[in-house]
Amino acid sequence: MNPSVLHTEKLCKTFSSGGVQQHVIKNLDLEIRKGDFTVIMGSSGSGKSTLLYALSGMDKPTLGKVFFGEEDISGYTNDQLAVFRRKHCGFVFQSIYLLENMSVFDNVMTAALSSQKNSPELVRKAETLLKKVGIDEKAWKKYPNQLSGGECQRVGIVRAVVSDPEILFADEPTGSLNSASSHDVLDIFTELHSKGQSIVMVTHDVRTALRGNRVIFLSDGAVIGEYEMPLYGTDDKKLRREGLQSFLDQMGW
Amino acid sequence: MEKITRLSFANIRKHKLETAALLLLVMLCMLLLGSSLGSTLGIGTIFPQTAEHTQSYENFMLIQEKVYDKEYLHIMEEDERIEKAEAVDYLNSMSSNFLDRDGKEQALYAGFITRDNNDKLQKTEIDTCLSDDEIAALEHPIYMPYTVHDTMGYCEGDAFDIIIGTKRFPFTIAGFYDTMLHDQVSSGLKMIVTDEDYYVLSAVIPGSVILAYNDHQGLGGETLFYDMLEKMEDYSNLDIKSGVSGIPYEAIKLSIETPVKAVLALLISMSIIIILAVAVMIRFRIAGDIKEQIVNIGVLEALGYTSGEITLSYVIEYLLIAAAGVLLGGIGSIFLTPVIFHAGEIISEHRGTAGIAVLPVILAGLAILGFVSLIAFIRARKVKDYPPVRAFRKGQGDHRFGKEHFPLRNTKSNVHLRLAMKGFMENWRQNLGLTVCIMISSIAAVFSVIMFSFFSGDMNAIAATAGMELSDLRVDLMPSADAYAFAEEVVQLPEVRKATPTAGTDLFVTVADYNEVMFPVAFSSFDVTENIFPMQGRFPEHDNEIMVTNMFARHYHVKVGDTLILEYLKVQKPYIITGFVTSSTNGGVNLYITEDGMKRLIPTYQPKTVEIYLEDGIDANDFRYVLTEHYGRSLSDTAKESAEGGSYEDRIRAEAEQQIAEMMANYGVSHVEYSIQSGDIVISGNSDAFQIVSIMNIRDIMRTQLGGLSMAINVIATLFVIVAAVVDMVILFILMESTIRRQRKELGIMKGMGYTSRELMVQLAMRIMPAALIAVVCGTVIGVLSVNLLIAYFGKIIVSLPIVIVLDISILAFCFLCAYGGARKIKQISVYELMTE
Repeated sequence: MNPSVLHTEKLCKTFSSGGVQQHVIKNLDLEIRKGDFTVIMGSSGSGKSTLLYALSGMDKPTLGKVFFGEEDISGYTNDQLAVFRRKHCGFVFQSIYLLENMSVFDNVMTAALSSQKNSPELVRKAETLLKKVGIDEKAWKKYPNQLSGGECQRVGIVRAVVSDPEILFADEPTGSLNSASSHDVLDIFTELHSKGQSIVMVTHDVRTALRGNRVIFLSDGAVIGEYEMPLYGTDDKKLRREGLQSFLDQMGW
Repeated sequence: MEKITRLSFANIRKHKLETAALLLLVMLCMLLLGSSLGSTLGIGTIFPQTAEHTQSYENFMLIQEKVYDKEYLHIMEEDERIEKAEAVDYLNSMSSNFLDRDGKEQALYAGFITRDNNDKLQKTEIDTCLSDDEIAALEHPIYMPYTVHDTMGYCEGDAFDIIIGTKRFPFTIAGFYDTMLHDQVSSGLKMIVTDEDYYVLSAVIPGSVILAYNDHQGLGGETLFYDMLEKMEDYSNLDIKSGVSGIPYEAIKLSIETPVKAVLALLISMSIIIILAVAVMIRFRIAGDIKEQIVNIGVLEALGYTSGEITLSYVIEYLLIAAAGVLLGGIGSIFLTPVIFHAGEIISEHRGTAGIAVLPVILAGLAILGFVSLIAFIRARKVKDYPPVRAFRKGQGDHRFGKEHFPLRNTKSNVHLRLAMKGFMENWRQNLGLTVCIMISSIAAVFSVIMFSFFSGDMNAIAATAGMELSDLRVDLMPSADAYAFAEEVVQLPEVRKATPTAGTDLFVTVADYNEVMFPVAFSSFDVTENIFPMQGRFPEHDNEIMVTNMFARHYHVKVGDTLILEYLKVQKPYIITGFVTSSTNGGVNLYITEDGMKRLIPTYQPKTVEIYLEDGIDANDFRYVLTEHYGRSLSDTAKESAEGGSYEDRIRAEAEQQIAEMMANYGVSHVEYSIQSGDIVISGNSDAFQIVSIMNIRDIMRTQLGGLSMAINVIATLFVIVAAVVDMVILFILMESTIRRQRKELGIMKGMGYTSRELMVQLAMRIMPAALIAVVCGTVIGVLSVNLLIAYFGKIIVSLPIVIVLDISILAFCFLCAYGGARKIKQISVYELMTE
């Protein structure tokens, strides 16, 4: 079993609205292992995204702890969390969130330069990654609104991985894409995982979940089930699908 | 309409802080504009009110007794243009001092008149809190113009000791009164004394006559003055210009009102700066709001609101804010107007009565409301460029096809700086407005600080613009005295560093081309001067060369190389202009000429004044007593002195000096040597002790003359700097607020990527720095140039480069800090909320 990269202890996240408290995550203990492609699934409102953002330092837990390695990040200030994110994390969002006022290349470089100084190697790395995800040189100077959704998400992935993050977090990365684009994007995730990238992805799409090797099922803010699969592409696709579907059926999906 | 106002109120509620900032600026603008305009009307009435309630003569000629002839009054009375005329005796001393409350001598341009004579010039209404008995008990009562109370702070019963030569004349202030003639500390004070005191003073102050006149054809006193002067010269066959000065109504009015109106003009300029800042802010806010609300605008349009109605909602929003500001500012200005009016009274050194001027306040308010509506309308009508479908797509403008600025692949070191530069270039239109605002503020700040440092510094800076030699003491000698011999003798004293003979202060020549009376500033060579600098051209070197003042050159449009005809006692000679001197004194009618040049026009010319420069640490007023004791005994006093008492030798010397004084005072004797033998004793002496007519401490006089102006300029300069700082602060605050609102998503993404709030705050603050830098540089250049627009008044004002550099750095640092502080709302952006919304 791979060593732990991230784990939580009694993690709670509560939201208050109009004097009513809503406990979205309840005393959750979870371990994210290095090199795993962890998929978090659950019905709407189960706390998937909340958990993702708590794990990634985007948001602070209400109670409990989040450890990155041996380091407790739950007591960090907002600025400390920002530094943590730029050093260790990459993010891919459902809404993509590219900076609309910047070119494709600058979107990637903005992320890269947040944690390191510019160098010819860094520029070359950004270029290589963009080419690898199928964004050719002509598009580098384009702005996000001149690209298709799939292209934007591919740029979003490059932006997330350009700094070699220890964990790549993805929140419904194919949620706003058509079928063909989704497939391309998932292939990129698979390739990244095959090279050892730790990935934590939230999704409610079974085809997307199939790309992972570990599925965690959330219900009412608690982990109610966990399912392990071999690496994607190393087993029979049909069996893999049936296995996952069976697990999800058990979970009441 | 109701639905539109509802939209406006919703927007106001949404941006409370920005609304409050805008309201504050509009209020400040209204406050300054309303009260300035309100005061302007009132201040314009101060002087006419003085003329009316004092029933004073309006025009005056001050004629030295030695050139006065009783026939002059008849000449005046016989002129059909003159309604009435009067002649009264007057004592006028430019070289007096008074003891201030700390016992320190201060320069005083003193005029003395008896009550009866003053009653002939005007209705004298004495304002006093002392009873008749109390006044009767005063040994030496004196009645002062109001300014002594209002600006110098003296009250009835206060001691007011006047020093003339070495003599101290103790007076007690018995009351105050309003007057038109010699009514200002800077131009002279006409003080009413008893007949007895007037007689005593007449022994030490040369007599003068005031010829007062009113014209009834509205010709203006100045025209009549020159006509009368010519008639008087024709009658006497003498050149009496040097002994006559004209003080016409318009000149008095101008000298009183100009500084006040200048101050009011500055206040109005400030309000204009503020309203321009308001205009830029409104543009920021509406532009930001349209971008932020574009989808909502589309929804409203889809619901049936027209673009005109949405535009109108913006106009109403800003009209409501402006109306609230105008209302508060208007109320404030009604209260502030009397304060400004009173300040005007203090600066003009006159009292007046002014009612509450509501009309100018209303007009100012309407102007502000109109301006705000116009600006809001022009910017808000851009809404029509976004029909619903386009608005849903966040507008055509979101599609980028422009040039990419500062690509990050070329980042050398600091990514934050590069990102800031990108931000700057992307918002260049907005930054243009910001540049204009900061530039205007910088102009105001640079202008103010230069003026402040100029007037707050030592006298040497002002001296450089005075156009006259600023020695420590200026000594006017008797006609009989030899200025060179006197200078040579005085310079031997250990206290004296240098002594330079120059033209007498009562000598005038005329520029025949323009019939302009000029004061010659004559030296053997201008190498000996220390405070006169040519602004253009060079000093005169030959006997046919002169320099004139910059003010004269501008007024008469003369150039270097032009020839002017100088006239003295009907003799005319041409002189070539070699250059211009800045001159803030004598109304710019100084004429710079060599001694040889003077002799070419006046063959008998001899310098009659000596400029004395003292060694460091020597007190000029103390040294004045030394000089007076040795060389400045009063002829009239000595002639009246008793020769009794003392030793035999003392009595002989006293008798001899009494004889000398009589001869010099009554028979025009220029020099006396005596030697008396009594037994074995030979007692000898000469008339050297009677060489000095008057000693002036020029620095003190200048300080007194410029004191009020310096104070006013310093107050205004400080106000300008404060207003500029407030404007910069508010505009940067609003800019940052609207930027953060507009770019909330981008900033949230950046935070998500790991940029800290502090880094983003620095980036946002740095974004405005290129605009601020350009604005400050341009503002400094324009500010320095605008300071030199005052060249005609003050001469070339020396601009201290280190002060300007420090100021510029301070403005930039201030802008950065304001922007950084204004960007603090970045901290409130929650990445999580942004990602999950």
